[in-house]
Amino acid sequence: MKQKYALLAAFGLLVAGAGSSLVSGQTGTTIVIGGRDGVTDTGLVNDLINKFLKPALAKDGIDVKYTPIGDYDKAIVNQLSAGTAPDVFYLPDNTAKGLVSSGKILPLNGLVSGTDFISSLNQTYTFGGKLYGIVKDFNTLATYYNKDLFDQAKVAYPNDKDDWNTFSDKLAKVQKALGTGYYGTCFPADYARFAAFAYGTGWKPTKKVTDPSFVRAFQFYTDLVKSKVAVQPSTISAGWGGDCIKSGKVATAFEGAWALGFLRDNAPNLQYGTSLIPLDPTTKRRGNLLFSVAWAINKGTKNTDAAVKVLNLLTSKAAQEYVLENGLALPSRKSLQANAYFKKSGAEPQANNTVFRGASSGNVVAFNQPPVFTDAVNEALKSVMDGTSTVDEALKRAQGKIDQIK
Amino acid sequence: MAQASSQNKQPKTFWNEKNREALAAYGFLAPFVFTIVIFFGYAFVRTIYYSFTDYDLFKTPNFVGLDNYKNILTEQLFNIALANTLLFSLIVTTLQTIGALVLAVVLNQKLRGMLFFRTAYYMPSITSSVVITLIFIWLFRPTGIFSFVLNWFGNHSSLILTFLVVGALLQAAQVMYDRSKGYPATAFDPAFLFTSVLVGLVITFILNALNIVRVGDLPAQPLNWIATREKFLGIIPYPLLVIIIQNTFTTIPTLMLFFLAGLQGVSKSLYEASSIDGATPQEQLRYITIPALRPVTFYVVTVGVIGTLQMFDQVSIFEGANAPLESTITLAFYVFKKAFDPSGLPKIGLATAGAIFLAVITTVMVMIQRRFVVSDTGS
Repeated sequence: MKQKYALLAAFGLLVAGAGSSLVSGQTGTTIVIGGRDGVTDTGLVNDLINKFLKPALAKDGIDVKYTPIGDYDKAIVNQLSAGTAPDVFYLPDNTAKGLVSSGKILPLNGLVSGTDFISSLNQTYTFGGKLYGIVKDFNTLATYYNKDLFDQAKVAYPNDKDDWNTFSDKLAKVQKALGTGYYGTCFPADYARFAAFAYGTGWKPTKKVTDPSFVRAFQFYTDLVKSKVAVQPSTISAGWGGDCIKSGKVATAFEGAWALGFLRDNAPNLQYGTSLIPLDPTTKRRGNLLFSVAWAINKGTKNTDAAVKVLNLLTSKAAQEYVLENGLALPSRKSLQANAYFKKSGAEPQANNTVFRGASSGNVVAFNQPPVFTDAVNEALKSVMDGTSTVDEALKRAQGKIDQIK
Repeated sequence: MAQASSQNKQPKTFWNEKNREALAAYGFLAPFVFTIVIFFGYAFVRTIYYSFTDYDLFKTPNFVGLDNYKNILTEQLFNIALANTLLFSLIVTTLQTIGALVLAVVLNQKLRGMLFFRTAYYMPSITSSVVITLIFIWLFRPTGIFSFVLNWFGNHSSLILTFLVVGALLQAAQVMYDRSKGYPATAFDPAFLFTSVLVGLVITFILNALNIVRVGDLPAQPLNWIATREKFLGIIPYPLLVIIIQNTFTTIPTLMLFFLAGLQGVSKSLYEASSIDGATPQEQLRYITIPALRPVTFYVVTVGVIGTLQMFDQVSIFEGANAPLESTITLAFYVFKKAFDPSGLPKIGLATAGAIFLAVITTVMVMIQRRFVVSDTGS
């Protein structure tokens, strides 16, 4: 009998303990922020949380936690469906349309002011007249060049006036002067690089990929690889364009401002410069891609007010200034476009300036084509670059796949 | 009368022996039945239900009848996935069953250090599938070791051929000379073979030094077996062929273990009796070992068919290595692709229809192989 009472007493203590911990848990609000898992993303968001969010939110009793999410695009769909998604999370440009159509993302009209943000960026996240995300930052492509290699080869640096022909001539000359093992440029079979050239011709994603303008750009891009002036990163054991430039064996690469932090850490002595993407010799225009990721709020959040506060702080002027000055990405706020940072000398501010100018020079299109579309083009690029398909075959096949989407 | 009343009473007591026994049995089964009902039964019923709807993980499912099934059957990618899956399953199941049987028979010999060989041959099975797949992608890369080896053989083919021809001629000459003297020399007489190899090597070396036979200087031809749409013999896409080779390599050891266990149960007296009757080892394998292993073979083939029809992980990793989707996609991967459609919201209706189709195919394949290929009872 005594044993029974002892057991009951222990059980009672346990229940009381659990109850009290529940009560104490209710005193503060925790907002969970979700984003891509990666050294840069995790480091940056945690920096923003510690520097800008926590101090500002402490008085309201709001705590903020960052959960990096691996395989983000798939995981966020699952989490939104299961009701376990973070309160505030990344809304990438290329999957925004699908995610918004799930009805699980809170429209921000009336909650957050989008007026200080670049309107074309707001447009990427506006569906049915409602704004669903505030762009945290953006990027475009620039031509990065290794000054030492051009100097050694006694060839002029690429510049903003170069067109496809003058640019590829320079690359061929550099390669000829430096000999085997050196390449003029380096890019993967990826729509996210190639499209800059396609857009220069006046082609738009609403047109077919068998359109003559698209074919012309495709031919130019893949010919660079076939003539061995360009190399695919994997061939020289590099992961991407920044890695190629770092190797010191490649004269140019097309990358965004995301390459800056990488080059600073991995090739601190590299002398590099940047110029705009070369012009199409026929249209005399250049193209570019606008890459962006927005912050969005989960419609199912229990603390909409707190989530809005967090989103406002994440996209605040101070936070964006911090991101800009660390060379991580460009601010989406109009009021920061005249920041003194852009006028600084040095490779990094100059590169940021080039990336920034890229957004308004020529035909600039947001990178929000569905992955099925980009995958089809990527495969076409890959098969032609590897010499397993002709341009016509590859593009016809790609168009066939794109037609199936509708 | 008393007896009759006691008989009538027996079933009325719930706690009679029969029921108690049954309850105990159900008690022991309960944990397994519970997990099967929840994680298999419930999931299976839900899958069937969703396959007749347009569910996308978010909206309320609407009944669409057989539309999903009609749609997948007319979709090109699904048909490619189906063909790849059947091809993969047929080839891998055949190769791995034969390979596992041969390896088991070899490892069943009483030899010194057999424990080491058994362990060594089992290693690929306990290595992570992802790791092995990545290793194979590296091996078959355009700049990988297979490319290098093939190129090396291409360039040294003249030397290898010279050595083989000279060696064969020397061997033939020695054997014929010996036989002409009336000695019973065999074609592969070890002593002659040693001389032939040695002299063959020396002659090849001299011919090479005199520049009569030269090493070729063909430029390296990068092997393109991963990121290609080309097909081996016009049937098997090369990336799928690499997956077939890799899968056979990693599953043989596991299946070998079943055969090895089965071999321990084959009575030694059968072999002894057949030896007395003059059976050769080949005949023993054909008439004793293989029939005795029938139940094991049935199990191995069944597990093989089911496992190969559901192959997924390698395709997923190959996709990351730029292998064209059409060259590797299997039904399981098709289901995944539809469930996580990158162009928008998940297409759960199509994905579940694909999954049900895969389940039906698996059942039919197992029934066919049971009926026509190998059954679980010896004949």
